[in-house]
Amino acid sequence: MADKIRLLIVDDEVKFLDSIAQRLEMRGLDVTKATNGEEALKAASVAQFDLGLLDLKMPGMDGKQVLEILKKTHKFIEVIILTGHGSLDSAVECTKLGAFNYLPKPYEIEKLLEILKDAYEARMRKKFELDMSRMEKIGQLAMGNSALGVLRALRELDNEEK
Amino acid sequence: MEYKPDLAGDFDQLGRKYYKDLQRRNIVRLVLTYFAPLVILIIYFNIEYNAILREGKRLHLESIAENQSKTLDLFLSERLVNLSNLVDNPKFTIPPPSDTMEIYLEHLKRNSDAFVDIGFFDPSGVQAAYAGPYPLLEKRNYGNEEWYKNLKSGQDRFIITDIYLGFRQKPHFTIAVSRIIDGQFVILRATLEPDRIYEYITSLEGASEIYTSIVNPDGLYQLVTPHIGTLLESSSIVPPQEPRLGTDKVKIKGRDFVYSYSWLSRARWALIAQWSESRNESFFSGFRLQMFLISLIVMLGILIVIVFRARKLVRMQIESDQAKAQLEHAARLASIGELAAGIAHEINNPLAVINEEAGLMKDLMDPQFKTDTTFDDLKPHIDSIHESVFRCRDITRKLLFFVRKTDVTFKPHDIHAMIDGVVDGFLGREMAVSNIKIVKNYGANIPELTTDVHQLQQVILNIMNNAVDAISGPGQIKIGTTHENHEIRIAISDTGKGMNPDQMSRIFHPFYTTKGVGKGTGLGLSVSYGIVKNLGGKIVVESSLGKGSTFILVFPKD
Repeated sequence: MADKIRLLIVDDEVKFLDSIAQRLEMRGLDVTKATNGEEALKAASVAQFDLGLLDLKMPGMDGKQVLEILKKTHKFIEVIILTGHGSLDSAVECTKLGAFNYLPKPYEIEKLLEILKDAYEARMRKKFELDMSRMEKIGQLAMGNSALGVLRALRELDNEEK
Repeated sequence: MEYKPDLAGDFDQLGRKYYKDLQRRNIVRLVLTYFAPLVILIIYFNIEYNAILREGKRLHLESIAENQSKTLDLFLSERLVNLSNLVDNPKFTIPPPSDTMEIYLEHLKRNSDAFVDIGFFDPSGVQAAYAGPYPLLEKRNYGNEEWYKNLKSGQDRFIITDIYLGFRQKPHFTIAVSRIIDGQFVILRATLEPDRIYEYITSLEGASEIYTSIVNPDGLYQLVTPHIGTLLESSSIVPPQEPRLGTDKVKIKGRDFVYSYSWLSRARWALIAQWSESRNESFFSGFRLQMFLISLIVMLGILIVIVFRARKLVRMQIESDQAKAQLEHAARLASIGELAAGIAHEINNPLAVINEEAGLMKDLMDPQFKTDTTFDDLKPHIDSIHESVFRCRDITRKLLFFVRKTDVTFKPHDIHAMIDGVVDGFLGREMAVSNIKIVKNYGANIPELTTDVHQLQQVILNIMNNAVDAISGPGQIKIGTTHENHEIRIAISDTGKGMNPDQMSRIFHPFYTTKGVGKGTGLGLSVSYGIVKNLGGKIVVESSLGKGSTFILVFPKD
């Protein structure tokens, strides 16, 4: 189904990853699993995701690094940070780096679903706002410009958005 | 309420013995420090006091001898004057008639009742006139008597004889004066009873504690109390002629015997003064007894202070030891505190797994999802929950083992069982996960080691943890035990990255760590070092960079 929410889950705890993925799939999400940062970025390079669920503490690349790269390469993705660590400092830090929210493990599924819903809505709103401003810009460009000029301007916009 | 450590209650037998020994050593040390000078002082004062006492007694004795000899001299001079007065009287006739002699005797007796009789000698040496209780002596010839010859030779104008028995067989002595009257050599003489003189002398001051006696130059008693000798017998004391007055000592029955003497000027007699037997005081009497009692009280007081002081010192030591133990524990808790967030992570992760597995199982059974779930579908999730539960349990158990505070108890332990407890009980899973092989190289016939097993296990755990970190990957940890040269050694070798000399010199410093920030507290080895030192052993480290490190725990064992 084309309108399924596309979710990328990254966690080194395989059993956890499998269970949560299955549960979210049962709730109608399109879930992609990754057990470390490298795997996640690889998946993100070939597919588009609406939302990301990132474990903070992982061997190799940690959640923060993955977040930074994802936010650079995916304009509209909203990332939720999962952490089992006693200190929430680094999770809070991640929200400053662009993460939508964080959730300490373990959590109730309802809470996760709620945050996922909010994040998806935020993502959609952002995309909508951007689309609107794009339309506006296109409208402005179209006025008093040659067709060639409009095409050039659209290409620039596309480049900006990437 | 202020906490006071209680020697009886707070410690096990060995701890109590240690502190009791400490207390005893403190008391002995303090007693030696405080009593030695005091005892030396007491001995010094005693010697000084004895010298002064001896000198005082000598002076006292000497002054009595001198006084009494002077008194006796005076007495004898008076008697001579009494006699001279008679013969120098112009009315004196030769020979005096017997009734005049009676009057003379009466006159003398009025002067002194020591006078017994009086006699007059004509130039031939015959007693021509006599008055007294021995009329038979009249007409006797004294011409050959020593004293008569001395007077006749004109050496002296008077004479006082020694005491003798004479014709009358009764102790007496003679005083005589010679004169030339009308060209005739005549002598008037009187005899005196010595008893009277003796009474006179002994009635003087101080006579009760002092015996006085009189001897002649031959050492024969002239006057003596029956307590020390018999009249006219040899005395063991023969005073020297020079000086005329002095103190001397003789050996009587092996004992030094001190006396004072004074030679008379009128007679050839020496007056001897000596301490009576009753004056022979015992060692602890009078001033010395007082001194002794005061010293005893002072020493007792000091002893009480010392005992209290020693107890206080030991209490302070106990408090300091306890403070040290508390600090150690606090260091351990601090390291746990630093790790707390990480430990939470270790527990939260399996909890998250349990949460998801349980949630998934609920979902699978939930009719709304319309799954066709069988037991076989659920089983892996249940197993996963179990596994996670045990993971949590292991973590809490490890944690509790590390922070548990127990009293230090010394007991004999089989060190192999103790090492196994750490290696298999706490590190087994971690070793398996980390791909580290444990090689046990236990020696045969290792005796039991008396130690605190909990503390020693913590040290071994610390070293093992460091070894695991140093290896970080596949490797090997070798644990060997030996007993030789009165030492038990536990050697733990790893095939890790090893240390350079700079690292080796700092590993026991507090807060020194080569592990990443948040991973190590830098307290493990410094606390281990303190523990092993307290347990009476030491830690030896060998390491070569790139090859691995060996930590050897060395404990003395006889």
